[in-house]
Order: sequence, then structure tokens, then C-alpha cells
Amino acid sequence: MDPKQMHNCIQKYKSLLFIWIVLHTLCACSSFHNDKKIFRLNQVQGVESLDPAFAKNLNIMWHVHTLYNRLIEYDENRQVRPSLAMSWELSADRKTYTFHLRSDVYFHDNDAFPNGKGRRMIAKDVVYSFARILDEKTASPGAWIFHDRVDTIAPFIAIDDSTFQLNMLRPFNPMLGILSMQYASIVPQEVVEKWGKDFRAHPCGTGAFMFQDWEEGVVITYRKNEHYWEKDSAGNSLPYIDGIKATFIDSKATEFLLFMQGDLDFMNGIDVSFKDQVLTKNGTLKPDFQGKIALQKHAYLNVEYLGILQIDSLNPQKTLLQKKIRQAINYGFDRKKLVTYLRNNIGVAANAGFIPIGLPGFDSSLVKGYTFQPEKARQLIDEVKKEFGQIPTITLLSNDNYSDRCNFIASQLNALGLPIQVEIMQPSLLREQMSLSKASFFWGTWIADYPDAESYLTMFYGKNTAPPNYTRFKNETYDRLYEQCLEEADEQKKIALYQQMDRIIIEEAPCVPLFYDEVMHFLNKRVRNFKTNSLNMIELKSVQLK
Amino acid sequence: MLPFLFRKVLNSFLVLLGVVGIVFVLFFVLLPADPARLTMGQRSDAKSLENIRKELYLDKPVYLQFLFYLNDLSPLAIHGNTKEDIEKYDYTKLFSISNQNNVVLKAPYLRRSYQSKKEVSSMLLDAFPGTFILAGLAIFFATVFGILFGIIAALKKGTWVDTSVIFTSVLGISAPSFFAGILIAYVFGFLLRNYTGLSIVSPMWDYDPFQGRHLILKSLILPVFTLSIRPLAIIVQITRSAMLDVLSQDYIRTAYAKGLSKKAVVWKHALRNALNPVITSVSGWFAELLAGSFFIEYIFGWKGIGKITVDALNKFDFPVVMGSVLFTAFIFIVMNILVDVMYGIVDPRIKK
Repeated sequence: MDPKQMHNCIQKYKSLLFIWIVLHTLCACSSFHNDKKIFRLNQVQGVESLDPAFAKNLNIMWHVHTLYNRLIEYDENRQVRPSLAMSWELSADRKTYTFHLRSDVYFHDNDAFPNGKGRRMIAKDVVYSFARILDEKTASPGAWIFHDRVDTIAPFIAIDDSTFQLNMLRPFNPMLGILSMQYASIVPQEVVEKWGKDFRAHPCGTGAFMFQDWEEGVVITYRKNEHYWEKDSAGNSLPYIDGIKATFIDSKATEFLLFMQGDLDFMNGIDVSFKDQVLTKNGTLKPDFQGKIALQKHAYLNVEYLGILQIDSLNPQKTLLQKKIRQAINYGFDRKKLVTYLRNNIGVAANAGFIPIGLPGFDSSLVKGYTFQPEKARQLIDEVKKEFGQIPTITLLSNDNYSDRCNFIASQLNALGLPIQVEIMQPSLLREQMSLSKASFFWGTWIADYPDAESYLTMFYGKNTAPPNYTRFKNETYDRLYEQCLEEADEQKKIALYQQMDRIIIEEAPCVPLFYDEVMHFLNKRVRNFKTNSLNMIELKSVQLK
Repeated sequence: MLPFLFRKVLNSFLVLLGVVGIVFVLFFVLLPADPARLTMGQRSDAKSLENIRKELYLDKPVYLQFLFYLNDLSPLAIHGNTKEDIEKYDYTKLFSISNQNNVVLKAPYLRRSYQSKKEVSSMLLDAFPGTFILAGLAIFFATVFGILFGIIAALKKGTWVDTSVIFTSVLGISAPSFFAGILIAYVFGFLLRNYTGLSIVSPMWDYDPFQGRHLILKSLILPVFTLSIRPLAIIVQITRSAMLDVLSQDYIRTAYAKGLSKKAVVWKHALRNALNPVITSVSGWFAELLAGSFFIEYIFGWKGIGKITVDALNKFDFPVVMGSVLFTAFIFIVMNILVDVMYGIVDPRIKK
């Protein structure tokens, strides 16, 4: 082709050539290529803060768990194990804990430290971190963990660099559980004070991963902490992976498509619209997906229930104040069917007490819950009708995501002659109504704060208002037993007390337990050694990527 | 021009004040929600709640809360001279009125989000570039192609070209953005991924723990295209009808009669006069897109004003809602003033 022809040709196709160059440039800036092992996951809910003082929901807790450590933690078998504290003892009067701290733990590097090098974590940091939670200036939603429990004059004392003492007002059994919560993570004073309120986005802890970048609402990245103190049983340094990338795409359906494309290593739960495509009715992977992805299930300390407000003056739906009606609701629908058809068998029908499977205190032979007995339900409803006449329609409040269970229950009870209608509310408004004791019959869920049945039983303690006592249940025997169990030194006796309380809840029926939940984690094939636990905490310390 | 602008700015100020009043009344008088409770986890106690209420000024009577909010918002305000206040408001002191209080000048303080404790102004500033780029490119694309197709349809009136342009634009108008968005993301980002190289989610920046931030320009293709469909379709229709109107005027015949080429007549004489309604429509759309396009942001995982606002509404996060509503109102006001100025340039008759 001679130059003139070439020139003409270029002139002719100038615009096409331009488009081609633009597209080529665009595509050239595609994703990253490196050989680092990065664990990729998505969180639909997003996180609002990386400050442990604001670790109020599971999403924030998980990030705090990645960045920070607490004095102690729970393992997969729900046993307390040492973390920053190597050992601890409780005084004879059961009011003082003394913790012996590790001396080889360093904070992540940060400009707030001299020379930017992370300094050693000492007992004073523990004192500062705990006092910060209590400080009203912090306005932490987690201040309740210490209120009315720790000593008012000298609650936290650093005896020396590696000994920390916690003084309580009175013996309080769940204290170790509380110290395992993310609110009780250890933070360095210098960094908190340097950033003030913006510490939320400039975290510095002692955890297995260090904060790297956060574009809010889009992505967070972490790098491995090269100086992390924990080692595996063979003496190798943890963690094994090089980093984490957590994105925040709000659509669960999009998350699923990305997971199937191999762009994500992990997915917690599954979008309702894809559920039946992936899972059989028995809750296992369909043959098409076996070998392509892995599914891990584990008992999850989460109970879904219907709550019934117990205060006469506040509950306009007076029928619900009749114990017989509350029991009839409990007898009148098939929990097994609910779990099988609406949940693809994820979870276990709550046929025992309110304490879920997986917690010491759960025993379906000692605490007999409600099973599906339509005849008994009908009989109870008829008795109430005979006494009080026609039953006005009862309204059950739910939010959109869970209306399927509520409608299922309503239709089964309607068939038995108990008229129930479901009203859908925006999730925050529903919670608000529950907190103000304005919801007389509502759908709710409760996740254990720590693996101790007390975390559930506190929901029905008469001296608690809402939250956690959303039903405002008050029963003298129950309250006495609850106070007793907080101080009971003998583990067996404590568990017997738990079961006694659970039986009262079942008998009085201020709530309708639906099912004990299960965690459902989907994993990419390249993920190894991922351990699912009962608090649904994503633990990446010991995960390996192929 | 100056008195006109002054009047406009004064009006706008009143509009903004009205917006603040309405949103405030909606949140604190009409809505039964208590935002302090919504910042807590599942378990809490009365004392924690009290601390939070105090921190969010929710323990004060409503009228005082309103006055405090206006004081925070106003560039000319009264603030304390404690270290905390100086840091918080970053003000320039004018004079003191008592031992503790100063009259000060400052940038409007939009407070911090109830939920995340992040400063609302920095939340908006973080989200705005994304929204601006998306809206700007979409409106640019829509305007250029909309006017072009509109002119072609007008010139070829009654032929198959005209009919197909009209048909396609009606199709574009009737496709809601959430439907078109999902369809486009699924087809080009999932089914045809291997050919297009695009993804169902298109954030502007990609992050890697080791290589940091990385701009992904190709991310723009699907959201910009989806977002421009509706304005494009409408601009086509408006241009077409305005052009048809103008082309039948006497002066166009005169222009042809004095021997001007078709190109000169169409582009210089007809188009300029037909542009007025198009400008109104383009500016309206642009302002609307700048206020955030929630569905597109949601579907493509794009960080923008729309997503922030909807999230905040769901959580009753008053400062963020107020901040974004004010911001949106401000954008509309600025756009309105700009459009008034532009009318004058395009059509000199309006200057008077």
C-alpha cells in the first residue's frame, strides 16, 4: 500500500481507529496481577466504623475481630481460651479477676508512636480501653457491658505492665463472656487521642491483619501483620494469607453472581432468589454445584422468634395477654415444615426452649418446647372464645425480609380459627417500635453476644427494659433464678438454673421460638482450613489459599 | 445582570431555609423514630442510651435542637471558645459576646453521621466526584447523541429514519433505569463477560492491599450508558419537535432564499433557535442526575450521593439526610441560575 493510499485509508476509518484505541486503553487498565494470596469477600450490609467502641453489629464486629485482640476469646467449641491474657484467676470472693498478659504483643505500626513503630501492649492499655467504653464522652453503644457490673471507684487497675485487675461490684458469672466481645478490644491511647472521633477510620490494634485502605461503602483492604504474636501448633507464624479485600456490594444477587464467577472466595448465606437453584430441600448443594464450590454449615447462636408484649397497659391487643392464646400460637403451626420449605432445612425447628442448640443449657429432654398440635391449639382457642367471645384479628409486625415465615404462621393459625394478619414495616421502624414497647406482637431475632445461655435469658429478666427485654416479661420466680445464676459458682447448678428458667419461658409463652439458626458459608475451591463457628465470626487467621 | 443575580441568590437562601425547616419537622415532629436507639446494637441499657442522646443533642427540646442546628449550619454563628469547639467548627473569630461565646465566621457545619460518626461534609465530598463523573458523562453522551438524532429525525421527517428514531426513543423513555440497569449488567457484565471484558459491578476505583488504588475506566461504560438512556430519548424527542417548529418558520425560507447552504441553515440558524427547550431539559436532567441516581449506583456498586441518601433514610440518620437534601437543593439552585444565564447567551432576546 503506498503512503497516499494508507493516508486515505486512515482518514476514512479515523473514527473507528479512535474508538478502537480508546477501548483498548480502557481494557488495559483491568484488574491487578500479583501472586499475593488475597482473601476476597463481600459484605452486603457494609460497615460504619472500625472503632471497637462501636462494634454493635456482626459486620463491624468481624472487622474489629480482624484488626484487634481481646484478653480472651472463645474457640470453635465455645471454650474460653487465652488471647492477650495468658492466664487469669478469680479471687475467693469471686469479685476480682486478675489477668496475666503476654509480653510479646505489639501494636501495628502507626504515626502516633515514636518513630512510627508499633509499641508493646501493656496493662495500662487494657485499663485505657475499658475505661474508654465506660466514658460518657465516647457515647459507646457498648457501655452496657460494664454498667452496674464493675466497681465504681477502681474498676480497672494495671498492677504492673503485664498484670491487669478487674474489680466487680458483685460476683458476675458472664464477665468472661463479656470480655470476649469486640467492645472489649484493646486499643492504644496515643492513636485514639491523635484521631479523636476519626479513629473510626484509622484503626490500630494488635490483630492478625493491619488496616490498609478504606473507601467507605466500596471496599476495605488489609495486609497481613508480619509481627503477629500467634503461632500454629507447628510453630509457624499466623496468618498464612497475605491480605484481605472486603467489598460492600449491597445486592445479594450480584454477590452470588460474582461468587459463581470466582471473583469472591467466600459468601455468607445466599440470596433468596438463588436458594432453590443451589440448594436441595435438605440443605445440601445440588449436584450441579458439587465440586465447584464448598458449603459449610454450623449451629449458629441465633434464634428467630415471635415476641408478645406482656404489659397490660401497653398492649392494645388484649387477646394476646391470655396465656392460652399464646400457647395456642405456639402449638398451632408446623415449625418443621417452616424450616424445610422456607429455609431449605437450614436451621433446626425450635421444639425445645429458647436457649438454642449449641449452648450449655440446651437439652430438649429437660426443656420440652412446643410441637405442632393443631387439635390442642384449636381447643385452647375455643376455650378463650367461650370465655371472651369472638377474637378480634391480631396484627403481627414483621419486616419485608422475613414476611414469608410470618405469613406461613398466620395462614396456619387462621385455619385453626385464630385470625392473624401480617403487617410489614421498615426494619428500623420495627426495631424502634419494639424498643419503645409499642409492638404488641412482632417478629424478632436474637444473636448471642457471647456463647453463654445467659445472653438469651437476660431477654426475659423483669428488671431489664427493652432492649433486651422486648416482651417486657416479668416473673418473680424467673427474676430470682436469674439473679441466682449470675452468682452461682457451680457450673452444673448454674446450668440447672438456666433450664429451670427456660421452662418458665416455655410455660408462660411470652415468645414463640421458631427455629435455631445455622450458619451457611459458601467457599471457593481454593480456600483451605476455613473454620466456621457458632457466632458466625469470620476467622481468617488460619485460612490458607491454594 | 447583577441585581438579577442578587435577587436569585436571596431567593435561593430562603429556599434552603425552607428545606431545612421541612426536613427537620419531618424528622423530629412527624416521624415517630428515635435515632439514638437506632445507633445501638441489639443489646443496650438506659445509661448507654442516655449518653448517646446527649452526644446527639437529642436530650434537648425540639425547638432548641432546631436553633442549634441552624447555628451549626449558618456561616455567621455563635460558638463557644473551648478547644473542642474551635476544633469542631474551625472558625474565624469576629468578636466575643461573653466570656465563653464568640460571634464567628465559618464554613457551614453539617455535623457527623449518627451511625458512622463520620463528618457529613466529608461523606458528601467523598461521594460527589463519583456522582459528578457519572452524571456529567451520561448527560454529555445524551446531549450529543440526542441532538444529533433529533436533527436527523427532523430533517428526514416521515421517512423510515424518523420512524425508527422515534420508536427507539419511546422504548428508551419507557424503560425504567432499574430494569434497564439489571438487564444491561446481566447481559454485558455476566453473560457476555468473556467478550466485553466488563463486570456486573463497576466501582470507579479498584483496591489491592499491596498495590493500592487503581482507576478502572472501563467501569464507566455500563453505568454511563444505562444512565444516559432516558435523557437521550427525551432529548431526541424535544430536539426533533423544536427543529420541526423552527424549520417551518419564514426566516429559514429566507435563509435558503439568500443562497445559504443547507448545513449553514440547519446548524447556524435553525439549531440555535431550537436549543432553548433542549437546554431546559438538559439542565433539569443534569441537576436530577447530580442529586444521585440511586438505582444505577445500587446495581453497579457505584459510590454516589443517591446511595448515601437512601442508606441514611433507612437508618434515620438525620444529619446525613439533611446534608444530602441541602446539597441537592443547592445543586438545583446553582443549575437554575446557570440556565438563566445560558438562555441569555443562546437567545439574546431574553437578556432584556
